[in-house]
Amino acid sequence: MSIEIKLSRFNRIYRSNEPLEGKIIMKLTSSISFQSIRLTVSGTVSLQVRGGSAGVVESFYGVIKPIPIVRNKIFEIQSSGKIGSGTTEIPFSVTLKDPKEENREKFYETYHGSNVNIQYLVTVDVVRGYLHKSLSATMEFIIGSEKNNLPLKPVSPEMVFFYITQDTQKHLLLPELKSGGFRVTGKICTQCSLSDPIVGELTVEASAIPVQSIDIHILRVESILFGEKIVTESSLIQTTQIADGDVCRSMKLPIYVILPRLLTCPTIFAGPFSVEFKVTIMITFQSELSKRHSPYDPKTPRQWLAMESVPLELVRTK
Amino acid sequence: MVLVLALGDLHIPHRASDLPPKFKSMLVPGKIQHIVCTGNLCIKEVHDYLKTVCPDLHIARGEYDEETRYPETKTLTIGQFKLGVCHGHQVIPWGDLDSLAMLQRQLDVDILVTGHTHQFTAYKHEAGVVINPGSATGSYSSITYDVNPSFVLMDIDGLRVVVYVYELIDGEVKVDKIDFKKTTTSNA
Amino acid sequence: MGLEFRRRDYRAEEQSHSLPRVPAESHPLSAPAPRPCPSPSPSTCQVSLLDDGKDDFFDPLRSVNGKMELSANILQHEDIKSDKTVPKEIYAQSQQKEWNSFTKILMQRFPVSKTISISLVASKDMKGSKANEKSSKDSHLEELDDPQKFAEDVKVISQREYVSRLLELKDEIKLAWHADDRVTSLRLSIKVARLLMDTTTVQFYPNLFVLATDIMDLLGDLVWNRIKKRAEFNEDGRFICYLPDNFEAADICYDAKETCNNWFCKIGSVRELLPRIYLELSMLHCWRFLLDHPMDSLQRLVMMIRGIADPLVSAYCRLYLVRCAQRLPQRDTGYLIHCINDLKVQLLRLISARESTSGNFSGNSILLLSLIEPTIEYIIKCLFKDLNQMEIRSMLEALGMRRNQSDSFENCSCISIILHHILKELPLGFLCSNSFEMLHLIECTDDFSFEQCLNYKLLGFRLCERIPEVSNVDLIVEKIVQVISSYNCLDAYLKVVDAYLDIIFENQFETYLNGILDGIFHGAQEDEIGENELASLQSIFLKLLTHFANIEKILALNHFIDILDVMYGSSRNTINMHILSVATRNGCVQDPTVIEVLFEISQALCDGVDFLNIRKDDYQHPAHLISRFVYMVDYGPEVEQHLTFLTECRAAFGSMSVLQETLIHSSNNLAVKSIRDGNNNINFIKSCLAFNEVTIPSIHTHRRQLNLYLETAEVALLGGFVSHSDVLIDAAVNCLRNVEADDGLLVPGDVDGITSLICKLCGIMVMVPGSLEQGVACIPKLVLSILDSQSWMLPRLKIKVSCAIISLSAGLTQNPLPYHASSSEVMGNDKLFFGVPAYPQELLSFSAVILQKIVNIVLEESSMAVRGKLALEACNSIASSFTMSDEMLGVSSKLLEIAKSCLSADDKYLRLTLKLLHME
Repeated sequence: MSIEIKLSRFNRIYRSNEPLEGKIIMKLTSSISFQSIRLTVSGTVSLQVRGGSAGVVESFYGVIKPIPIVRNKIFEIQSSGKIGSGTTEIPFSVTLKDPKEENREKFYETYHGSNVNIQYLVTVDVVRGYLHKSLSATMEFIIGSEKNNLPLKPVSPEMVFFYITQDTQKHLLLPELKSGGFRVTGKICTQCSLSDPIVGELTVEASAIPVQSIDIHILRVESILFGEKIVTESSLIQTTQIADGDVCRSMKLPIYVILPRLLTCPTIFAGPFSVEFKVTIMITFQSELSKRHSPYDPKTPRQWLAMESVPLELVRTK
Repeated sequence: MVLVLALGDLHIPHRASDLPPKFKSMLVPGKIQHIVCTGNLCIKEVHDYLKTVCPDLHIARGEYDEETRYPETKTLTIGQFKLGVCHGHQVIPWGDLDSLAMLQRQLDVDILVTGHTHQFTAYKHEAGVVINPGSATGSYSSITYDVNPSFVLMDIDGLRVVVYVYELIDGEVKVDKIDFKKTTTSNA
Repeated sequence: MGLEFRRRDYRAEEQSHSLPRVPAESHPLSAPAPRPCPSPSPSTCQVSLLDDGKDDFFDPLRSVNGKMELSANILQHEDIKSDKTVPKEIYAQSQQKEWNSFTKILMQRFPVSKTISISLVASKDMKGSKANEKSSKDSHLEELDDPQKFAEDVKVISQREYVSRLLELKDEIKLAWHADDRVTSLRLSIKVARLLMDTTTVQFYPNLFVLATDIMDLLGDLVWNRIKKRAEFNEDGRFICYLPDNFEAADICYDAKETCNNWFCKIGSVRELLPRIYLELSMLHCWRFLLDHPMDSLQRLVMMIRGIADPLVSAYCRLYLVRCAQRLPQRDTGYLIHCINDLKVQLLRLISARESTSGNFSGNSILLLSLIEPTIEYIIKCLFKDLNQMEIRSMLEALGMRRNQSDSFENCSCISIILHHILKELPLGFLCSNSFEMLHLIECTDDFSFEQCLNYKLLGFRLCERIPEVSNVDLIVEKIVQVISSYNCLDAYLKVVDAYLDIIFENQFETYLNGILDGIFHGAQEDEIGENELASLQSIFLKLLTHFANIEKILALNHFIDILDVMYGSSRNTINMHILSVATRNGCVQDPTVIEVLFEISQALCDGVDFLNIRKDDYQHPAHLISRFVYMVDYGPEVEQHLTFLTECRAAFGSMSVLQETLIHSSNNLAVKSIRDGNNNINFIKSCLAFNEVTIPSIHTHRRQLNLYLETAEVALLGGFVSHSDVLIDAAVNCLRNVEADDGLLVPGDVDGITSLICKLCGIMVMVPGSLEQGVACIPKLVLSILDSQSWMLPRLKIKVSCAIISLSAGLTQNPLPYHASSSEVMGNDKLFFGVPAYPQELLSFSAVILQKIVNIVLEESSMAVRGKLALEACNSIASSFTMSDEMLGVSSKLLEIAKSCLSADDKYLRLTLKLLHME
């Protein structure tokens, strides 16, 4: 005996104003009778705070009460009946957002972060009275923003120019790096559609010490209101190398970073939480020291690293 | 109409450096359908040259030919005629009509082409026709050093053959012709 | 009635049987009929024999300097051009074929040693999927192992192991894919792509590239097919639509597009730049599902490759980019130009780095360049496909290789190795019409990536292919002369001279030639002549020889012999052979100084060539060339001098048997010439005969000696030197006795040849005065007795000789004889023994002895068919030699019986023989 939900869309992405459609598929070895078949749709923002986050001295750990978006909305698909043995498919179509009903919470896009999780689930239950266990299956579906509300793609993305030299670095640099100097310039977009890559360009104009690698780090910053405090945690979600080795000077290198679908979402500023992003351009210089360390940790400035971070606003566009 | 070039005893380079230029200018590729050669070319270059004049080349071996694969005698059929070719130094006495007639009977050919004497001759006897095209370079022979370069071109047309004799006399090419028909009785 | 020779009247027979001969007014060779072959005038026909020889001879050697190779390239180029009109599918196939052959050549070009070093990280990537199975979802986060960290740790594995690991990986990728585990396929492909970051063993890189890109191609195809399937069938496997080859992005359903996007996203999450580029390239054609003009992606990828600092790695990455771009339906050259320009920047860096560092690094950068070169070659080849003249101009401009308005190349920055391949690919027509500009470009481009002189050389050779179309020839020649005059390296000097020589000739700039030869001469005094110099000198000499084709003119060239003397070895031999070939091509060699030079050349050749290693039948064999030279020498009336020359040759070329024969033929020819001229120089003719008598014994085989003795004997008879001819004939008979002693077995051809020579001897004997004391038939008797003792003598041949002797005996009794020696000094037997009864009797009794034996000889033959023919041959001979008599008929009928018993009754020969004997 098995039961599963198959959604009409291969990628399981639905807008909040669209009906959620699909089939309940049951494979039975013998026929059963049931009281009802029902679907339950739920959506929640779960927040958690883990210890040792930025700026908070005392260690604390706790789960904050989840914020419901859709509270176990139940749809009766079929009332009592019988299902024969073999494969049975029962199609369904349910409305997620009742236009008449004013939702308390916004339908945020599905998002799985480290401290913030926005998840939508659909569960099917075949209720078979008290003697029999219900057959049930749960499936996650993904909510995307409603198309009508989305902004158009900007004709040209908002770009910011950067200029990285030994003098723009706040941390301690290798003496030869400090004295020899370097200059890396370029531009990068600061507002970006989730469906588009982050674009920009970068030029190593000068560097006394050979470049070992240039990487673009995307960091996600999740902040949660925890009591009186705002707990912030930033995590590295993707590193993309754009230069491998000591590249030619004055040659324009493209920045082209495809955003990881599952780890990003539109930048959110909600009351109890926020999800923001930033981009760090990091230059690793060849040095005896650097060989012994990972160059991919953008949070710890090292002597052989130079970096520049810019905020990145991610938006869902049409 | 089939043109058959008969020539031989060039003795290149032993006794002559090349064919007379006047002959060479006449022997252009594409005109001649067959070549029968009585041998003594003597080197491969001459063979290759003759091949350019006409690729269908039949050579009997002379005593000075480097190429040991040439046969002592060779026969071929052109139209209604059967031709035989032999150098002739092995036919004793040289150039003797009766001795050549013996060879002709042996080979069973209508036209026997032989060389060695470096003198053009054309005989007809009961068994057929015997032609000696002479030496194409006019080299000295076993018998004489007084030789005019000559060769023969046979125009075979049905049962009729016109033999053209090309002889270089005092720097001029003199062309004679001999006309004969194959008597069908000799074939019977 | 006893045996009697049949009487003959040769003169009367000749007259009665001669066919009448009349002057011909026209003949088949008279009118210049239309000719199928291009020989426009008789004069060209005259030399056609030698031209043939020349063609055979020159061309294979000429390919040494790369000309053949070039023209083959051009051909290939044109082949590709013609593809323009063929359907896309076939175009793609031909592209694939081209790529396959390219990669094959690439792997052969850089063979690797058995073991290779790879970095430890790469060795980790070599491991299979099972070993480090990891949750793929966030594999990008697990890249905490820093490849650079272990960069200096290397592992040595065998090449075979490496290759088989890669092949295993390929299979694993396929397997995983077909098991619907596409994530594993992708992860393994990323591992493979990552291997391309490892340059620990640079020599292995091209091989690695070929193996790895093969796997990349596989992945690309799998992804393509998957997306295509998504576009053609819906999730339930139901058919949606058929996708034509030239589909557009709009034809693709949302699901398929999403799948495609997903793949690009997955690739996008790979941290390292190089594997990410390779993976996207492998799927480049999949952009077609999303965009109608994926060229923007291509452009971006070109730019992304700039981020790869290692010149070798980035060069091969560009190569793969170009290869993958060919899978797109659009044709564009923009990205290729960017590729080349980027490459140029990187190479410039390599070059300047080399110039600033010393020794140790330079060897490495030369190796790197040689490894990078095939990528340059391929990309430039692609760039020049399907271009017209205008496009070429703008392209050269885009590559920074065109003269700008200010008419100077000061700013032009090109790299010689790139220039080299561009010169190679530029269409001939363009090169010819812009030749001077190209020359200037070469002049401005001088760096270590490719020798400048080789670019000059390449341009020269290419221009030589279409000399009539070359513009500004005068300027070019002037420039080249100027260029080489500044060279102080002989090798470079020769290479450039060699390449432009044909142009210099074609345009009558022979004025420069002496200066150039002067330059070669002086260079040769200072520099060592190595392999390269020899090769160039050889080519230059060949051109000189071909161009002048006249030995006097050639020898008159400045320092010709001096320069020739600096050459050695096989090149020297080759040139010597060509000189001989040219010198003897146009008939006689008369000038004594020319003869002297050629004699020395022949001597050098004779000493320098290893005769064992040359094909015997090659008529460009040095022995044949020397022999031809000896034949062609002509001292005119100075026959004495000529004979002296032959004597010198005998001393100089003693080791060459062929040449000894040549000398004998030449000396005989000389003697006959002297006899013919009638200057009565008896002593001289005797000297010639004596020369031969001395020379013949040094000939290797008795068979050849026999032949030459006979020829000399004939010449002696022509001159009337009976005593000489007797001696020579005796010597010939002696040879016959010894033929068995010759080295090697007698082949059938030899045996037939000897037999025919014996017959020929009989022919000579007709003219030789006999002697009653010795017996007039003494020579034939001797011959017969020798033959009886020879093991190689077959019944067939014995019959031939017996018949010849019977015919000789019959002929000798005629009055007059069938022919006489031309010299009046030689008295024929008809006069000598006129009225001497003993003379015909001896011949008759000798013949009777033969007749008695002949039937038995015939019966010795085992083959029935042959026996029958032999019987008829003997019968014919007897019938034409003797009158009808009991004795004669007795033998003939026995022979006829044999023939009848062996042959069928209607055998033509049998019937003709019966008819002859009036028995039919």
